[in-house]
Amino acid sequence: MKLFALLCLAVFASTPATAQPAAAPAVPGRAAPALPPKSLYHLDSTWTDDTGQTRQLLSLLGDPVVVAMIFTNCEYACPIMVTDLLRIRAALPAAERARTKFLLVSFDDVRDTPPVLRAYRAKMNLEAPAWQLFHGAAPDIQELALLFGVKVKRDARGQFSHSNLITVLNPTGEIAYQREGLRGDTDEVVRAVTATLK
Amino acid sequence: MSPFRLLLLGLATSAALRLGAAEPAAPDPVPPGFVRIPAGNYSPVLRMKDEPETVPVAAFLLQGRPVTNAEFLAFVQANPKWRSSQVSPLFADTGYLGEWAGALELGPGAPADSPVVRVSWFAARAYARWKGLRLPTTAEWERAAAAGYEVEDGQTEAAFRDAVITWFTVPNLRPLPAAGRGRPNYFGVRDLHTLIWEWVDDFNTALTTGESRADSGLERDLFCGAGSVGARDTGNYPAFMRAGYRSSLRASYTVPNLGFRCALSLSP
Repeated sequence: MKLFALLCLAVFASTPATAQPAAAPAVPGRAAPALPPKSLYHLDSTWTDDTGQTRQLLSLLGDPVVVAMIFTNCEYACPIMVTDLLRIRAALPAAERARTKFLLVSFDDVRDTPPVLRAYRAKMNLEAPAWQLFHGAAPDIQELALLFGVKVKRDARGQFSHSNLITVLNPTGEIAYQREGLRGDTDEVVRAVTATLK
Repeated sequence: MSPFRLLLLGLATSAALRLGAAEPAAPDPVPPGFVRIPAGNYSPVLRMKDEPETVPVAAFLLQGRPVTNAEFLAFVQANPKWRSSQVSPLFADTGYLGEWAGALELGPGAPADSPVVRVSWFAARAYARWKGLRLPTTAEWERAAAAGYEVEDGQTEAAFRDAVITWFTVPNLRPLPAAGRGRPNYFGVRDLHTLIWEWVDDFNTALTTGESRADSGLERDLFCGAGSVGARDTGNYPAFMRAGYRSSLRASYTVPNLGFRCALSLSP
C-alpha cells in the first residue's frame, strides 16, 4: 500500500532542483517534487494541526484526501458535513479506507486554535491518523478557499456563511472531484476516492 | 527614490506582511496617484438577514485609476513566476495576459497606458503585495464607486446614473483606452465605472448559487447560514450587475475586461 508513497519519495529525492518544470514552482527556492502543475501541494502556506505540529499540504502527498472547510462554532451545516464525511469513510472499502485521509481546514483563524480543534476531534469522534485538522492564517485560508471555489463570509458575530463543498484530492494533490451540498449520496464520493487509487 | 517608496519596499519585503499579521498602512500625506476616500457607509444590494442595511467603511486610500499594462509589465519583469510563460495554472487560467504580444512584450493589443486586463485575482493580489499595497474590499470599492460626479450619492445624480448604465450597453473598445482619462468622481477617482470591471479582495463573499433561478431562496443545504441573504434597493441596477458578476468569478479566472486597482489602509 505504501508503494506509491515510496515511489513519490523516490521521485522527490531524485529530482534535481534544476530540472523543475517551468510551470510548476509555486514554491520558490526548494527542490520541487515531480508534482502535476495543478497540484495543491505546490502551495507554500503553512498550517498547524490539532497536535500543534506545523504542516504543509505537501505532507499529505501519497494518499487520497477528502477535504472540507468548516469552523467549530458552526451551528448548522458543519456538523452535518462532518457527519457526511464520517458516512463516506464508513462506506469506503477497507483497503481504500486504510489509505484515505480526511482533512478539515478551519475558516476561523481566530477561535479555532489547535486546542479547540483537538477538542472538536474528540467531540466528533474523529480517529487519528485518518482525520487531520488544520488551523491557518487568514490569507492562507482565503487562498485555499479560493482554489477550492468555496464562498465564505464572516459576519459581525464571527460566524461564517460558507458553501458546503466536499473536495477529493488525488494522491498527488490535484482536485479529482467536488460535491456541493449536504446529505448527499455517499456513493459518488466513494467512487471518486476509489478512482484516484486505480 | 522617495521616502514613501522606500517605506513601501520595506513593507513589501516584511515577513509580517506575508503572513497577514500586519496590514499595509499609509503614511501621511496621501501618496501620488492615490485618493483619500473619507469614512462613510456602504449599502450592499445583497445582504444577510441579520446584517445591517449599511456597513461603516473607514477612511482609506484608493488608487485614482486602474493598474496599467506598463505597471504590470514591471511587476512580471521583477517576478518571473508571474510571467504568462511561467505562471502556475493554479493561479491563472490559460487566458492570462492574453492581450499581450508575449510574456514580456505588450504589443498593439495592450497599450502601455491602458488598464491591464486578463489578470487573475491571485495575480492582482501578488502585484498589490509587491507594491506594499492591497486590493480594496467590496465595501471600500462600492463606497468609492457610489459617488457621482458632483455629489457624494451618485444615485441622486441623473447624468452619473445614465453614464454608468450606458456603459453596459456599449461593446468594449479594443484595445482599451488609456486609464486615468475618465471623468473624476466626487472624490477624484477615475474609471470606476465606464472602462473595465475590477477585482476586489473579497469577491467570493457573495453567497449566490450558480443557478440564478435558485437564488430567490438560497438553498439551505448549499450554504451554511443561507436562506437569509436578501436583496435591498432593487433600483441600483449597476450594483446588482457588479454583485452578480463578482459571484460568477473564480480566483484563477482571467477575463478580457477585468482588471484591478490597489488600496491602502490609513493608520488609525
